[in-house]
Amino acid sequence: MAVCVNAFHKCLRLPTTLLKLRPVVHKLNATQITRTFCSTNALTARKYTEQHEWIDVQGKIGTVGVTDYAQGALGDVVFAQLPDPDSELNQMDDCGALESVKAASELYSPVSGTVIEKNKDVEETPALINQSPYEKGWLFKIQLSKPEELDALLDEAGYENHLKNTGH
Amino acid sequence: MKISIISQNFQRSVNVWSVGFLQYKTAYQVQKYLANLHFNMSNKEKTDGTILMVEHLPVYTTGIRTQGYPESEERRLKALGAEFYRTNRGGLITFHGPGQLVVYPILNLKGFKKSMKWYICKLEETVISVCKTFGVEAERSSDTGVWVKNNKICAIGVHGSRYITTHGIAMNINNDLTWFSHIVPCGILDKGVTTLSQELGKPITIADVMHPFLESFSQEFECEVKMLPYEIRKDVINHLKKENLTNRAIEEHLLLNNDLNLK
Repeated sequence: MAVCVNAFHKCLRLPTTLLKLRPVVHKLNATQITRTFCSTNALTARKYTEQHEWIDVQGKIGTVGVTDYAQGALGDVVFAQLPDPDSELNQMDDCGALESVKAASELYSPVSGTVIEKNKDVEETPALINQSPYEKGWLFKIQLSKPEELDALLDEAGYENHLKNTGH
Repeated sequence: MKISIISQNFQRSVNVWSVGFLQYKTAYQVQKYLANLHFNMSNKEKTDGTILMVEHLPVYTTGIRTQGYPESEERRLKALGAEFYRTNRGGLITFHGPGQLVVYPILNLKGFKKSMKWYICKLEETVISVCKTFGVEAERSSDTGVWVKNNKICAIGVHGSRYITTHGIAMNINNDLTWFSHIVPCGILDKGVTTLSQELGKPITIADVMHPFLESFSQEFECEVKMLPYEIRKDVINHLKKENLTNRAIEEHLLLNNDLNLK
């Protein structure tokens, strides 16, 4: 998302959702961890852009949405314009928009690839983005054409740090 | 040439370019050019934005929600003698026409506050303050825009891309309101529209409002307001030439018509 970075306190709500990822890692034994980190395909850790999109990658398919912080700063989303399946996107292409308070804010693709699905539930009920930004409010799925782009995206700590440093 | 129109020792500074009548399509190209300019501006030459002030011939525009505005609707409205454009702003259908002050602030919100909610609120406050200058009490409501009782005096619809804003506000000064009767403005059924002239019971012109508007803008956004430099106007015109969106008359109009018709 291109806009809406006020309400500093809202970033405090982020970690609670993100912490859900941690226990999964903790249950693994040492060998599994090593193996997991050696194979980029098996690793599923959410990555973030400075524009407040997140991407969750499983295999070569990434699911994209906007962060809890972004939905809070946008206010009630009344309309979601999402990229159609088969759209070819380059990293950082604008690929849709979310409308709130009479303002349309552009969405950017965190990675390059081909859109394989958009979330029709969100098109029908844009409020899902506010209610459940990381689950029911996902926006589209994309088949990555350059998985190496993920390396340059922010991890959870990097994103939190970004929020702290750009609040005002 | 950098004549300060409003200077109150604010650190921020924005340019203003008042061009008078301009076709909607051309005005949009100018906005896009300026948006790109402000996105790429280096810190050294930095201004925080450009306020483009225009007046349109009758035109209906819709926002990114296009459902409810099929081609039949487009044909119906065009048959009234207006243009019709589908745009990328927020908000639903609205009308622009002579006697309406249309302001497109192309701001880099990084220099202000990176929040669309904040930006919309400031735009509303600016218009409320302008109305106050004329003794008209206006307010915001749960529906975006600025209202005098149950009638909308100013419509708002904006777009944000990488913290750069486009589109803006349309304030009814002495325009013909019958154009609004052919649509449901902004999708709000049970409310009306009004003009500043109607509220005051005497004719007010766009020229009367321009300076109070910039004063209020300067106060609300805490920025000084300067004339857009000649070189940038020249660059914009060269860009329009490339896009085949201009002719000699428009070029001269754009270059010459920079003096705010201030009273």
